[in-house]
Order: sequence, then C-alpha cells, then structure tokens
Amino acid sequence: MGFSAARILGLIAAAAVCAGVANLAASRERKLPWSGSYPRALETDSVSPSKSGPETVPSAAPAPAPSATSAPAPAAAGGAQRFQPHPDRASDEIGTADAEALFREGRLFLDARRTTVYADGHVPGARSFPVWESDIGERVKALYEEGLDQNAPIVIYCSGGDCEDSHMLAEKLYMVGFNNLLVDKDGFPAWQKRGLPVTRGAKP
Amino acid sequence: MRWFTHPWLTIRVQIGLGAIFAVAALPKIADPPSFAHMIYNYRLVPGPLVNTFALVMPWVELLAGLALILGVWRREAAVLIGLLLLVFIAAIAFNLARGHAVDCGCFDVHAAGKSREEQLSDMRWVLVRDAAMLLMVAQVLVASRKETGVKV
Repeated sequence: MGFSAARILGLIAAAAVCAGVANLAASRERKLPWSGSYPRALETDSVSPSKSGPETVPSAAPAPAPSATSAPAPAAAGGAQRFQPHPDRASDEIGTADAEALFREGRLFLDARRTTVYADGHVPGARSFPVWESDIGERVKALYEEGLDQNAPIVIYCSGGDCEDSHMLAEKLYMVGFNNLLVDKDGFPAWQKRGLPVTRGAKP
Repeated sequence: MRWFTHPWLTIRVQIGLGAIFAVAALPKIADPPSFAHMIYNYRLVPGPLVNTFALVMPWVELLAGLALILGVWRREAAVLIGLLLLVFIAAIAFNLARGHAVDCGCFDVHAAGKSREEQLSDMRWVLVRDAAMLLMVAQVLVASRKETGVKV
C-alpha cells in the first residue's frame, strides 16, 4: 500500500494525547468532558418534546409562587397560574411577550449561551448556564440543591432562531425534577429588539 | 501526466494542503465546546462521541498538516487527511440530501447566522472544495509513490 498503518495510528494516538493535555490545561469555559450527554444527537427534526405555550401577556391573578430570582421587580404570581407544571414533557415554548411578563414577575431566568456571550449582554437577573461548557452538570446540581420550588416557572433562553441550547438545558433540568421549564423560543435577540432591559458582565 | 508528479508541484501541494489543515485546526483547538456544538449540529455522531470527536479531530488535522509541511511521514499524513476529507464529504452530502442545513465548521467554529438557503449553498461549495483537496491528496500520494519507488 505504500504507507504504514502503524504510523497512521501513531498520529491518531499523538493527537489524542495532545487533546488530553490541552483539555487539562484549558480554562473552564474551554474545557470539554470527554463524553457528552446529547440524547437527541441523531435527530434532525424536533429538538425537544416541547409545546408552544400561551403567547399573550397574562392578566394579573393572585396566586402563590415563590420567586427564584431577586433581580427584577417583585410581582404578583400570574405566571404560576398561567404556566402550569408539565411533568410529562421537558419544556413549553413561549414568546418574548410571555418572557417579559414573567420577567416583570421576578421569575428565574437562565441563559444557556456561552459564558463570553452572556458577559456581552443578558437579561438582568438571569443566571449563566452555558450548556456547552464542562461544568454545566455542576451548575444544574447546584440549582437543584437550592431547594427551589420545582413547579415554579423558569424561563430559559439562548440566541433564538435555530439555537437549541435552551432545549438542551431544559432537558437537563427536567431530568433532575424541574417541571415548569419555559423556553423563550425567540431568544435574546428578540428581547433586545423589543427594547427590554439588558445588563452586561459576568454576574446576573 | 509527468507534470502531475513534478517535484515543483508536489512541494507546493504538500505545503499548501498541510497549511490548510493546520490553520483549520487552530480555532477548533482553541474552543472545543464550540466545535462540539458544530459537530452536534450535523446530527450524525452519537451523543457520547460528540465531545471525543471535538477534542481529538482538530489535533489529527494539526499533526497531519504539520507532517505534510515538514515532509515527515507525508504518505501517512496524506492518507489521514484523505480519510478526513472523505468523512467530511460524506457528512455534508448526507445532510444536503436530507435537506438538513448546517454551518460547515471547517475554519470557523461559531455560527455564521446565515439563512437556510445560504447554508445549503455553502454546503455545495464545501463539497467542491473538499473534492479539490482530495485531488491534492492524490497528487501527494502518486508523486511520493514515484519518488519512493512504492508499487501499489
């Protein structure tokens, strides 16, 4: 054949060693676990068994719902009535209007985009949950251990359009028991376009 | 066909092809999570292997590219690059055939924000480009076979 299979395997082995060393030395944002968990990696159609939720701004209605974030204004708990827990599926999709209403209520927002993108601008109070970074499992575990009401609405967003990171994060949270995950399908670009509040930096 | 194996052409093809792969590897090595995202978007790699591919493949590209540039193990490096190109072509062609538009992730690991039509158009162009690089691989293999007296 004119070439050595052993040398080819040697090149691949050397590449694996280099990859291992580089990954060990990488910063948290650049590190990657060797084996990922992407249950829908071979599916091309729907990224998540999610359904579209209500689109209009909910009317104010008194209902108890613990607020999970301290950022935006305290509010009545319209979202808790409007967005009921859905333990049969990972997430429901909502639009920017619903996301805004939930923001006004002080609901927990999670940003599924990369750390650097989050720092460039995010929803005030939203916590960074970069679904492609190596410590996402620890972040999910930490959120679970906070003992939040697992039936309270949590809004997740990424970059809108084809972005699937929100759905991936919703599935991870759903696996640990969160039952009312709402994916803002329009994402952060639509939030900005609507002129809603934005904050910069690494902190919520 | 003597021109096809002329040393003047061979050295340029060898360095050019090696440089393309070495340069293409750098952004992937710098940001493995973004490259993993790119691989995931192809929807062809089983979930548990996505990250492994994202970590190792760029280093294979870099080492094979450097080997070609330096003229070390160049036949093996060319074979490896040829195999990678065949995998890339198959992945793009399969997704084109099923209408699944993706960003190539060849030289840039960040989503370009293109429309579906633009992505599909780019994918066709990538097929042509990869086929051209396969021709470069063939040149290196044929020329080096002649130089080393290898009979296939």
